[in-house]
Amino acid sequence: MALLNPGQAKFEVEWPSMRPTVLKLIRQEPVNRREWHDLFWSVHAVCLWDNNGPNKLYQALQEDILEFIRHAQSRVLQYQEDSALLKAYIAEWGKFFTQCDYLPKPFNQLEVSLSKDKENVVKKKGEESIVRKLMLDSWNQSIFSNIKQRLQDSAMKLVRSERNGEAFDSQLVSGVRESYVNLSSDVEDKLKIYRENFEKAYLDALESFYRCEAPQYLEANGVQNYMKYADCKLKEEESRGRRYLETAWGCNSLVVLTDCCVKVLVTDYKETILQECAGMIRHNETDKLRLMFSLMDRVPEGISPMLHDLEAHIVSQGLRDMMESAETITTDSEKYVEQLLELFNKFSALVNKAFIDDPRFLTSRDKAYKSVVNDTSVFKLELPLKNKSIGTKTQPESKCPELLANYCDMLLRKTPLSKKLTSEEVESKLRDVLLVLKYVQNKDVFMRYHKAHLTRRLILDTSADNEKEENMVEWLREVGMPADYVNKLARMFQDVKVSEDLNQEFKDAHRNNNEGIADSINIKILNAGAWARSSDRVSVSLPMELEDYIPQVEEFYRLKHSGRKLQWHHLMSNGIVTFANDIGRFDLEVTTFQMAVLFAWNQRPKSKISYESLRLATELPDAELRRTLWSLVSFPKIKRQVLSCGPEVKSPKDFDDSTQFWANQEFGLIKNGKLQKRGKINLVGRLQLSTEKSKEEDNEGIMQLRILRVQEAIVKIMKMRKKINNAALQTELVEILKNMFLPSKKLIKEQIEWLIDHKYMKRDDENINTFIYMA
Amino acid sequence: MADDMEVEAEREGCGYQKNDKMFTLKKWNLVAMWSWDVECDTCAICRVQVMDACLRCQAENKQDDCVVVWGECNHSFHNCCMTLWVKQNNRCPLCQQDWVVQRIGK
Repeated sequence: MALLNPGQAKFEVEWPSMRPTVLKLIRQEPVNRREWHDLFWSVHAVCLWDNNGPNKLYQALQEDILEFIRHAQSRVLQYQEDSALLKAYIAEWGKFFTQCDYLPKPFNQLEVSLSKDKENVVKKKGEESIVRKLMLDSWNQSIFSNIKQRLQDSAMKLVRSERNGEAFDSQLVSGVRESYVNLSSDVEDKLKIYRENFEKAYLDALESFYRCEAPQYLEANGVQNYMKYADCKLKEEESRGRRYLETAWGCNSLVVLTDCCVKVLVTDYKETILQECAGMIRHNETDKLRLMFSLMDRVPEGISPMLHDLEAHIVSQGLRDMMESAETITTDSEKYVEQLLELFNKFSALVNKAFIDDPRFLTSRDKAYKSVVNDTSVFKLELPLKNKSIGTKTQPESKCPELLANYCDMLLRKTPLSKKLTSEEVESKLRDVLLVLKYVQNKDVFMRYHKAHLTRRLILDTSADNEKEENMVEWLREVGMPADYVNKLARMFQDVKVSEDLNQEFKDAHRNNNEGIADSINIKILNAGAWARSSDRVSVSLPMELEDYIPQVEEFYRLKHSGRKLQWHHLMSNGIVTFANDIGRFDLEVTTFQMAVLFAWNQRPKSKISYESLRLATELPDAELRRTLWSLVSFPKIKRQVLSCGPEVKSPKDFDDSTQFWANQEFGLIKNGKLQKRGKINLVGRLQLSTEKSKEEDNEGIMQLRILRVQEAIVKIMKMRKKINNAALQTELVEILKNMFLPSKKLIKEQIEWLIDHKYMKRDDENINTFIYMA
Repeated sequence: MADDMEVEAEREGCGYQKNDKMFTLKKWNLVAMWSWDVECDTCAICRVQVMDACLRCQAENKQDDCVVVWGECNHSFHNCCMTLWVKQNNRCPLCQQDWVVQRIGK
């Protein structure tokens, strides 16, 4: 190609040949390859060789663009009717917008030259090209700003009619939105025009539409239908929003839309909707509740009234159920635990179905269930305070932990219940107990009863399943029972094993000597530290049939060990005696106390013996002797008793010194209505292996231990903090003790006073609510 | 209780012979608790009850090996505690007499 002279590239010379192509491009007419290339060349030449070229070119371009837009405007504005106008506008805009991408391309050199003039501003990335900006600005100023209100209005009208169920070409609305988004040439905030006009108009329209619609619907169809309506409309508006609002990254239109919808559809009717909540919970209308939950979850403070309703329901329903069956459950631990579990499962199912296990609702369930479990109105456990000088009345506590422990015992001991169940069923029921136990405030009561039951099971060999026993200990550890307590239990198992070995050695040592002692005697010699409670020892004068064995055992033990002393616990020992009478021979499983009584008849088989004589012979304390005799004259559910007495009495209290007892020569076992000549019966039964005294001591012990634990915990905290105020101390104290029991305010206060009196700590001189540790 | 009752029907042989006692012992399960034969049930060295293992043995889970030792003065302590004590001071911590082992528990 020939070199150009500078003069040849003047704007005035080149423009006439460029212009037709430019116009074609603006009008979206076909341009051939050559024209397209030439345009690039000419722009380049003008910008390089003509000093004023770029500016002139820019102006000429602007004029042509404006000219085109004017025509377009007149084409659009000839339509008076809004939707026709909208259609025409969208058509024109579509064409023009496409060209916005093409026209700037040949003018690249112009961009460079123009921006060079402006102090070399480095072109920012993503900034619109100058020509494109020119095109869009011109469109915006001339056509769009004139008719945007009408466009917007008619677009909103379309949306409104869609809300009313009419169909139309959604492209029309999105077209208007695109104009808004693309026409903005503000670099800092591209969406400003869109937001201030289109989005605002959209939201206003939405709001006014539902302001009018929603109350009418609510009025006509009631709250429950309204919830469905609101839920459905929310979804509908969200999907509509996705179609008509800008969804580009960095645009929050949809969020704003959702907020607006929620406000106008839900928040404004919050109170009305929530009023229905309690009723729905009561009637277990889970589907409706789930709907309400999904609506209220979007509203600020919408959930907390629902939580409140749920809690109130669980507490009132739980307590009502317990009250209704109070009579059976207070005496029957099985029924009680089952009822508690049934309640728990019911409430959990409700939370699961209605509130899809939302953590907030689960917390509420726990809180409410806890107060049901620990409620004292159904049954109380009176914890006595020995220390009468303080003159305090006891604070009643729920009997729940005691009953839970009893239930555990029924599952773990050989009982009708545990025999009936399969191993898996027993295990799942034990797990259930642990579940309820988690909600129990005063776990120390459970621990004490559980330990007492375990002691009995191990000593009497009445565990249904040893493996399960040991598993249970580990499960207790897992649910966070205090380690020292669990360790004590584990130690009891160890100790039993040690004792079994000892028993074997004892039998081996006596295998070959006289009297068959190896066959008739089993010994359990246990570590007092792991088991004993002092009050469990009751003195008894053993009959010589038994007494004779004692020295042999003691001698054997002395040879094995040194430095140890033995204490016999006959309350816990037991055995089998054979009762031979006129009917036949029967094996009776009995306690040692029962033996002591029965053997009294060996000296004078056919005589009647008075209560007083029996007391002298056995040396049993009055209460124990009464209980023992009662179990022999009136054992439940057997027709013929081992002993008879006269005069007949209604309860053990009615025995007096002169009451006569004699061995029942007619005693026999009846099976299928027939009298048997041989047989075996267990008369230990439910005869408690704890004395009345030790029961009382149990409860006292619990209180004593609590006092010590509180003191210990306070000292621990004081040692760490040195100085602490009352409120903080209480909080930390509850935190430390909560796995064992919930200390009452009064208990804490008393122990603080005690510690102050004993100079472990003192009150701050300046603030009596602050305590200072005294080492 | 009826459920605890096991009735075994045995047909042959009944009644009791003349020499038999009315009640004879067939089996006896005896229960006793052992404890160290001590005057003071707390170990003066570690302040733990002598029936429980000393803290060191508790931590090492050697409860069964933790025995008690008696001196000539009749004072008693955990054997482990005393073994450590005499390395520093060969006197009884309670009465300051020279420590002579009288016996060790087993």
